Amino acid sequence: MQDRIAEFAGLLRQNGVRVSIAETLDALAAVRVTSLAEGDSFRSAIRSTMVKRASDIPAFERLFDIHFHGLGNLIRQAERAAREALSMSDSEFNRFLQRVEEFLKEHGSEEMSELTQALLMNRAGQLDRMIRDAARRAELDRIERSDEENRFVRALARELGLERMDAELGDLQGQIDQLEDEMLREQLDEYIEARRRALEDLIRRHVRIERARRDGTLRESEEAGTLADRSFFYLGEDELARMSDAVTMMARRLKSAIAMRRKRSRRGRFDIKRTLRINMKNGGTPFILRFERRRRDKPQIVVLCDVSDSVRNASRFMLQFVYALQDLYSRVRSFIFVAEIGEVTRQFREGDPKTALDAALGGDIINVYAHSNFGNAFRSFVDEHLAAVNRRTTVIVLGDARNNYNLPHERALREIRRRAQRLIWLNPESRGTWGFGDSEMERYSVHCNVVEECRNLNQLYRVIDRLAPR
Amino acid sequence: MFASIENVVERFAQHGYIASRRIATVVYLASRLEKPILVEGPAGVGKTDLAKMIALALDRELIRLQCYEGLDEGKALYEWEYAKQLLYTQILKDKIGEVIAGSHGLAEAVDRIAREDEVFFSERFILPRPLLRAIRSERPTVLLIDEIDKADAEFEAFLLELLSDYQVSVPEIGTLRAKVIPIVVLTSNNAREMSDALKRRCLHLYIDFPDRAHELAIIKIKAPEASAELAAQVVDVVQSLRKLDLRKTPGISETLDWIKALTLLNVESLDHELVKDTIDTIVKYESDIRKAQEELKSYLRELKLRRPAAAGGDDGSTPLS
Repeated sequence: MQDRIAEFAGLLRQNGVRVSIAETLDALAAVRVTSLAEGDSFRSAIRSTMVKRASDIPAFERLFDIHFHGLGNLIRQAERAAREALSMSDSEFNRFLQRVEEFLKEHGSEEMSELTQALLMNRAGQLDRMIRDAARRAELDRIERSDEENRFVRALARELGLERMDAELGDLQGQIDQLEDEMLREQLDEYIEARRRALEDLIRRHVRIERARRDGTLRESEEAGTLADRSFFYLGEDELARMSDAVTMMARRLKSAIAMRRKRSRRGRFDIKRTLRINMKNGGTPFILRFERRRRDKPQIVVLCDVSDSVRNASRFMLQFVYALQDLYSRVRSFIFVAEIGEVTRQFREGDPKTALDAALGGDIINVYAHSNFGNAFRSFVDEHLAAVNRRTTVIVLGDARNNYNLPHERALREIRRRAQRLIWLNPESRGTWGFGDSEMERYSVHCNVVEECRNLNQLYRVIDRLAPR
Repeated sequence: MFASIENVVERFAQHGYIASRRIATVVYLASRLEKPILVEGPAGVGKTDLAKMIALALDRELIRLQCYEGLDEGKALYEWEYAKQLLYTQILKDKIGEVIAGSHGLAEAVDRIAREDEVFFSERFILPRPLLRAIRSERPTVLLIDEIDKADAEFEAFLLELLSDYQVSVPEIGTLRAKVIPIVVLTSNNAREMSDALKRRCLHLYIDFPDRAHELAIIKIKAPEASAELAAQVVDVVQSLRKLDLRKTPGISETLDWIKALTLLNVESLDHELVKDTIDTIVKYESDIRKAQEELKSYLRELKLRRPAAAGGDDGSTPLS
């Protein structure tokens, strides 16, 4: 059992669940005091000692089933297959198994190998243990590629002692042939044949599951690492969904990091009034000191997002990120534009971010199929919405600055910059391409406090982190 | 102490708490392995109740520490009773005079007083707060550290010594070990992620909203006066509301509040008007109420259609009319 739990801890780690050695030891101690017979409490004992994050629970449940029940299920299936081959009911089958046992005893079963006995007498637990031991000796945990399967199947069969079993079954066959009872003879033939086949099948499937398990985990962990570095531009449908989850997760992480930072730097000047008051009970002797808590103005944010085809994904995640962090700012207003500009603050305030995004990008607010016209968008923002910007506002523009050779109207941008605390431009194109073709990036960047490349989740995270109040 | 997992389930049931096997296993492990339990889950699923129930079932005193932002050692562990110390020095003025009488110079007088200062920094002048009370208690206790996620990260670090070794350090006195090891329950609403160090020391228990059958069973015990039909309807409504994206998802406590309110009004089964009038006992925000009503429209219409057929001979009079 010790080995199995240690193995399981390794499997959890491979899948990104953090399990310490101390926790593995706790799991062992917990298993020792619960009765193993009850599957449910075994599972709970392992779960409460090894998995400490609610978000890891689904992974745990999946892996637990594979690890602790995978082989058991296969063995049960093999038993069912044998029963079906004989077309017997449960009780008939049990009676038949008793006869098998008697028959084996009469013919010197104690001299047969453990494997033969366990297989024919249907001892699932013993079989389970034997296969696991053999797998360990065959170093099955080294398997990585599917073309190694055959090699490991052979190794496992050798370690199990399949050869000796076959010899013993051959001897047994001779004795069966001498039986008087024709019906029993046929049944025994059928049974042994079915069992033999099932065992081979079982070995093969066990190897395949082990291989798939390692293979699969490898791929998953690889993906998780690179998702944050993938460019927003080339994302498939399900990658979009997973990226969206990743954005939510990162936003949460950033939020607690910021909360931590703020607490540390909150202590302000010495507070005479409160110190005097709290020390009244000590006769005015200042045993306890009190400090002011520094008050900090939460920043306001205005986001202008280009939602034309080329940068829509980036805008999508930008908006999602900003709204996940909404309570860090005193006010967030968001606008989307292609050629014209429209406000989507209300959609985000009322619905969850996903529906709000769909509503915003659905085409009701602005024509999302037009050709980008940054100049026009900035000008109409200055005309209609400039009141949204004051000296506490950080304005973030997200766009590739590909203006389709329209008038850039950079004076409008300068006007926004003049009223705002700062102006940040995030460009989802790689820096090398800025200023080429119809890109007006160089003309616009003059008016920005900060210009950043923002092509993937990691860059987005860094940018938002810098925006956070300190 | 609990004898087995079944024993936990039984004893909890005696006090009207339906524990799933998972919960019972963790509680049993906590008492056997002497490890704290960290309970997480959405608000209103009975996290705090679990600690109360352990105390009830084991007939132990429950010592509760409610966490909040800015909670410090002085509030959680102990504080020196300055006022009492001052008072004693006043009363003992003459005695102190005697001690320093005949001393040559200030330095010697200070030395003499310093020799006696442990009199003033002894357990006599300590004002024990919940954590110290749990440690010093002669009888076994249950210590509930409620909403640990609301406390600062520093406080969490400060708890580590207590949670792993059941001891606390008071600089002036030394290390105090627990006389009887308490069962410690920490609850968290996940306002922030707990540190790995804390999690490593605890058994983790995640309590989610109950499924339909479980919730019905809870109602049967906590609100036995409610009719079976009403209970089923209420549970249906609440369960469907939990699938919505609400600002505050209704917990078990809200379900119980609602069903108690409805039984007070002598309601036997739900109808449109009733839901409209009483929905605010389970959803608390204006925007949530709007969403809930939208969601329930179709459900109630279906109820209305089903009613005459199901009621049979009943004349269908509404309970409030």
